[in-house]
Order: sequence, then C-alpha cells, then structure tokens
Amino acid sequence: MTHKKSSVALLGRLMGVVAGLTLLAGCGGGGGYGVNINPVLSGSNVATVQVNLGPTNNYVNGLFTTVEVCAPGSTSNCISVPDVLVDTGSSGLRLLSDAVPSLSLPSVTDSSGKPLQECVQFVDLSYVWGPVVQADIHMANETASSTPIQIISDPPAYQAPSSCLSAGSSGAVDRNTVQSLGANGILGLSNFPQDCGTNCTSAANGVPNYYICPSGACQIASVPIADQLPNPVALFSQDDNGVLISLPGVPPGGLPVATGSLAFGVGTQSNNALGSAQIYTVHSSADFTTTYNGVQYTNSYIDSGSNVLYFLDSATLGNIECTDAPGFYCPAATLNFTVTNTGTNGTTGQVTFSIANADYLFSTGNAVFNNLGGDSGTSPSTDYFDFGIPFFLGRNVFVGIAGKTVPNGASAPYGYWAY
Amino acid sequence: MKTMLGVLLILALGAVPAGAVLGEYESSVSLDQQYLRAEIRVTTAQGYKFHQITTPNGAVVREYISPEGKVFGIAWQGPFIPDLQQLLGSYFTQVQQAAQSRTQRRGGPFVVRTNDFVFASGGHMRSYHGSAYVPSLLPKNVPAEVVR
Repeated sequence: MTHKKSSVALLGRLMGVVAGLTLLAGCGGGGGYGVNINPVLSGSNVATVQVNLGPTNNYVNGLFTTVEVCAPGSTSNCISVPDVLVDTGSSGLRLLSDAVPSLSLPSVTDSSGKPLQECVQFVDLSYVWGPVVQADIHMANETASSTPIQIISDPPAYQAPSSCLSAGSSGAVDRNTVQSLGANGILGLSNFPQDCGTNCTSAANGVPNYYICPSGACQIASVPIADQLPNPVALFSQDDNGVLISLPGVPPGGLPVATGSLAFGVGTQSNNALGSAQIYTVHSSADFTTTYNGVQYTNSYIDSGSNVLYFLDSATLGNIECTDAPGFYCPAATLNFTVTNTGTNGTTGQVTFSIANADYLFSTGNAVFNNLGGDSGTSPSTDYFDFGIPFFLGRNVFVGIAGKTVPNGASAPYGYWAY
Repeated sequence: MKTMLGVLLILALGAVPAGAVLGEYESSVSLDQQYLRAEIRVTTAQGYKFHQITTPNGAVVREYISPEGKVFGIAWQGPFIPDLQQLLGSYFTQVQQAAQSRTQRRGGPFVVRTNDFVFASGGHMRSYHGSAYVPSLLPKNVPAEVVR
C-alpha cells in the first residue's frame, strides 16, 4: 500500500515536471490557462508541492507537500510525513496520529501542568481533535524549533467535548482518519501568526478551541499565545515573513497532477521577490473585498484549503447547479467572470476566471482544475468569494504573515496577499 | 459578577430577550446563558427587526424577527462558529443530516437547501460567517438577503 502510493506520487511528480516544462515552453501569451510563471523554483528555501488526488486517491484539487517532524532537538527521532494538505485558510501543523506512529513528542501543558487538547471546527460541522505536542518542523532547509503542533488522534484519548461540535456531537463528523480527512495532516500557512490569538488566552472567553481534560472531562483552557499552534513559518530563523505558492497553469480539461513550489519568505531571497505582484492588505479577520456586478463582497478570502472557487449561488448564475454533483456548477457552456479585488490599502486588481461543467470535469478523472466552481450560500446575502485552488493555478501567490516584515516597507498590520 | 454585569448591560439596553431560536417566537425563549456577557442591540427595519448580540470575544449573532414575533433568520460572524444547535433549534437536524454526506466539496462553504430552510456556513479559521433562514417565515415584502 505504502509502496504503491510512493510509486504513484513519484510518477505524478515526474508528470508534473513535464507538464510544467511544456507550459514554460509554450506559454508566450499565457493562452487560456495561466500567467507566464515558472512554478518550479530552486533554492534552499523551497519545498515541492503538488496538486493531486491525495493519499485516498479521491481528492480533487488538493494541494499537498511533505513535512518532516522531529522530537525537539533530535536529528534522528524524526518522521517525514507525505501528503500533508497545504492550507492558507488556517494556521498550525496538524498531523494524523497514524502518520507519526513511532514518534514520541512532549506534551504542551497549561499553567497547571495538564496536557492541552485542541478541537478545530470546520464550516461543514466536521472537526479534528487531539493533543497539542512539541516538535521541530523541517521543510526545505528551514526549521521551526520546539513548535506546538496538533496530533489528530484516532482513537482519541478523550471524547471530543460537545462545546466544540456545535453541540451536535451526534451529527458532527470527525476528520481524524486519512479516509475522512483525505490527507495525512494539514499545514496551516494563513496570514494569522497563530490559530487562535488573544481570545484563547483566557478560558473565560469561552472559545471552544483549546481544552484540558482532567479526570476525562474536558473544559476550555487558558493558553498563552506562545503555546498556541503557530503558522510554523513565523518561527523560522529566516524567511519567516510569509510564503510564495507557485503552481503551473492547467488546460481547460484539467491535468492528473500539477507540481509547483512552496517558497518560504517574501522578498528575502532572489527566488521569492514580489516582482510585479501587488500587495493587497487584509483586514483584522484576514479578508478583503471582492466586487462583482457592482456588489461588494467584503469578507472574501484566498484559501488553498478550499478545493474550488466558491462564490454566489446557482439561482443567481442562471440555475447551473449540477444534477448529480450537488453544490457544483454545471453550465452548458463555459462561463467567464471578471471580478475586482480590493485590499484595505486601496490596491485594486481584476481577477478573471472561467467556470466549466463540473460533471464533465469530474468525468475526465483528472485531479487538477482551474475552472471548477461551486455554490457559496445564500446569495445575495453571501458576503464573500472563496478563492480556492483554481485561483493559485498559473499564479505566483504570496501570503504575508501579520506582524512580520513587509517588502517595500508597506504597512500590513493584519498581513497581506500579493499576486 | 459576570452575570451581574450581563444583566446590567441588558437592562440598560431595554431588557431584550436574547438567544431566540430559528422558527420560534422570540418571547418563547428565556435569556440564554451563553450570551450573558454579551451586548445586545435592537434595530428596527422596514417590516422586521433584528437583535444584534456582540460577545466580548468578537462574535456577532443577529436574530431577525418578524412582526408576528417569530425568528425567521439567524446570521453570525466571528472568530469561531457559534452554537448552531442552540441557534437553529429544530432546524439543526437538517444541517446534521447534510453534514453526513460526503461530496467532492472540500474545505469550502457548507450549504444546505431544503424546501423551507436555507443554511450557509463559510469563512476560514478565525473568521467564520454564515446565515440561515426559513423562507415561509419571511415577512411580507422582506427579501431573504436581509439575513446577513
């Protein structure tokens, strides 16, 4: 099983390289798919990322990388974990217990010495749950030492607390296995330096995120910032101010795999300079404004953990919901969109994208699509566009971490995107 | 002490009942423990009113009330997802059922549409937002998009 997966991954990587080179060779005008970029960067600050079907072979538009974790200070007590989902919509490294079976990592405890547990809710009522431990994280030649990470436990030592599950423990869906998560873990690289912030420093705030479980009964814990899960990049000794995600463009019918780069740092090395990319600063919740048809969607976000472009709804777009893939768009002919994104710094820029028939795209068996779209909710009260993986294809996308150095001396107190 | 503060705040703002549940009468639900530390504001609009409940940790919940006094919509925004079972009441089972089915939608917004219930939950870590409404309870001439 493991052997087979490795072979597939290797083949995928080779195919991705070939696809990338082909694109470079034929990409003069950008064509219909992508800006003229080189997605295969080299340097000691660069990790390889790949969009493929993931470890369960069924994840469309999943962006994965490999992360090595070690016991703090150790160079031998280490495990390299492949197929970790790269997620710019969260912060912190979370790994399935099954992915790090032989690694013993020290607990992170609260002020009373009790081991911290964490419960992360996702918007679809699913959750991950397990202890917070310390590890050294290695990616490319970068290291985040003694970093709080979460071990997503299967089976968990304690029952997940009902306060974390929208009080619907019977209806909540855990993502604590590779089958249910579709990945061996999540590498959270958002604008936020930590996954919670000051709200979790006092249990009295009642934020259902960090817990202690004395005598098996879990209660919300008070957790100082330093003990919360950080965006690991923020703890690097260099290249710590953000990342560049660079992925190739893909043709309208998709590709089986696309290989690109995750470069650490922004403007810290020759391979992560902003170049022509513009900085769009975000507001305190890491969102910006997207304008479409004269309507402003003020909580828009870019999220590599969202697998398609989620925006508006079927009724608004002319009843184009797929009949056999609910929630996806199936227009009879490809639809083209132009929207305008505006940062809090006033930077504006147009983003164009296409939405093709999802039924057709799924039927290709491919894994990577730049034209998959889906319903985001109750339009027009929906107040956001969710720019998922298709947005990243054929672009250099920079994520700036709040509180870190910004290239050009720009002010971005809550972080920024640049593209 | 916290309870005292909460009660004082609410008294100062006019003894507004909070913690109302979707589809039920606003007066049918007693003051909710979860919101005792919250600040509550009532806004009257054309054909409806809404309670805006702001908690100290930055979460905002709005409850939309029809002239008949029924909660026809709920919206939320904040650094974590509020207790949806509490807010949605009997409608929560429809959300639970939908959550069980696995589709190719990954990591994006969660949308549930049935004959008389529309629910959408979106956002990302530290910035969640969503809304739910009952079409048949919408007051006359009030469009669904006011629920936001």
